[in-house]
Amino acid sequence: MSGEGSGAIGAEAPPAPRPRRFSVNAVLDGFFFVYAGIAAVWLAWLVFTESFAFGWWGIAFFVAFWVLLAYLVLPRLHRILTTIYVPDYFIGRARTSDGLLGDPVNLAVDGSAEALHAAMLRAGWTRADEITLRTSGRIITSTLTRRSYDEAPVSPLFLFGRQQDAAYQQEVEGNPARRHHVRFWRTPDGWLLPGGRRVDWLAAGTFDRAVGFSLFTLQVTHKIDADTDVERDHIVATVLAANPEARVEVLRDFATGYHSRNGGGDSISTDGDLPVLELDAVPDAAAPPLGAAAAPPVKEPS
Amino acid sequence: MSAGPAPDAAPGRFPVPAAGPAPVPVPRKRAAFESPAVLAEREAAPPTMRRPIATSLGAVLVMLRVVAGVIWMVAFALSWRPVLSDEFGVEVVPGSEDDQTLTLVLVVILVVAGLGLLVVALFGLAVYRGSNVARLLVMTFTTFSITAAAVDYFTGGEEITVRTTLLTLSLDILVMLALSSRAARAYARRPRPKRRRA
Repeated sequence: MSGEGSGAIGAEAPPAPRPRRFSVNAVLDGFFFVYAGIAAVWLAWLVFTESFAFGWWGIAFFVAFWVLLAYLVLPRLHRILTTIYVPDYFIGRARTSDGLLGDPVNLAVDGSAEALHAAMLRAGWTRADEITLRTSGRIITSTLTRRSYDEAPVSPLFLFGRQQDAAYQQEVEGNPARRHHVRFWRTPDGWLLPGGRRVDWLAAGTFDRAVGFSLFTLQVTHKIDADTDVERDHIVATVLAANPEARVEVLRDFATGYHSRNGGGDSISTDGDLPVLELDAVPDAAAPPLGAAAAPPVKEPS
Repeated sequence: MSAGPAPDAAPGRFPVPAAGPAPVPVPRKRAAFESPAVLAEREAAPPTMRRPIATSLGAVLVMLRVVAGVIWMVAFALSWRPVLSDEFGVEVVPGSEDDQTLTLVLVVILVVAGLGLLVVALFGLAVYRGSNVARLLVMTFTTFSITAAAVDYFTGGEEITVRTTLLTLSLDILVMLALSSRAARAYARRPRPKRRRA
């Protein structure tokens, strides 16, 4: 197969290899991606018909059918279709891993990664863990035992084709179903907001109000509060209150046109203002480096 | 991602229309939908990528396929003589030459099947270690297997239930789904530091 050597990797050869127009590997991958999706639809149908043949055991088959549909078939179909019909440039919305439109981008930040991290910690926010098998298991146990897990990972959302660089959250009343959370993406170099403003970070902050079923994939997800402005103003207020050096500038009516649904099918309404937090003056000492994913949680007294 | 506006797009730089009849501009059209070729594009991955769950799961499912094969081999060996005598009417005297031949045939079949399963297991291991070639070959095999089952099902009317081939078919399809996922693709095609002997 042609995968590894094609394209940009062989850079040290003196006559630069011509960039390949397409690679066999990529075409195969695209084919397998779609073929697996179609085969999964068939499998879901087979399991569904099987659920009528076993009496009460059919319920188990029906659950298997739902798991198959919600976590394998529909995400794959959404991925294939959204690749074709959702444009991949900035439209003020993050996208889920299935390509559906996710939370609205409702906050921007100017400042270094360290300053952002220090400001968020001081404002009483907790850095969310990465999703691994271990943290996933801890989510399940903490949900079943109703114990608090305030560094619980947040689901991946994508902006600029990348997963969030950092996510922060505040648990409400020790209940894992309800939490404030905000995801941050570093903007690409030289990238400007529509309208020409340059910012270092874009963020999407929403409030998880309950656990429920996603409208589009039938998965169990957090349902977000429709009024995303409340969460946005909460983030800005906490950061400003805890960091006297921070300033905020508001781009009025930046996203007034966006009133729709997020990836879980929750509707979103907003006044469209985009606050830009200026954190350049925030001292970044006394905070663990942002890159350290396993940084010990810093509890703030406030 | 598109970069910002070009630096020369400042106000006052607009071209002044020349005198005389202006040429009629022909609008360049583009399709009203995004290109599906993006589905086949290379997934960008950081060089130090951890093994995604999809890759591990795909390898585990390939191994389960091997386990299913071993179970089939045991069942086959146990039912070899009964099936021969009941279905085909082959009756042999124990200890005769025919008896030894039948045992030899069984052993040959089991050895060939065992070697095949060994190859599949090696492929599973290679997938786990992130080999792209192994991933593509495993998906090619499962594509043929699924297609064959689908042709039987939709034309021959062969029933696929739990009692027949639903289990192996679902293993095949789950292997396909796991290994064709974007995470597994990015991991198998991740840029690797070149190992080069000095």
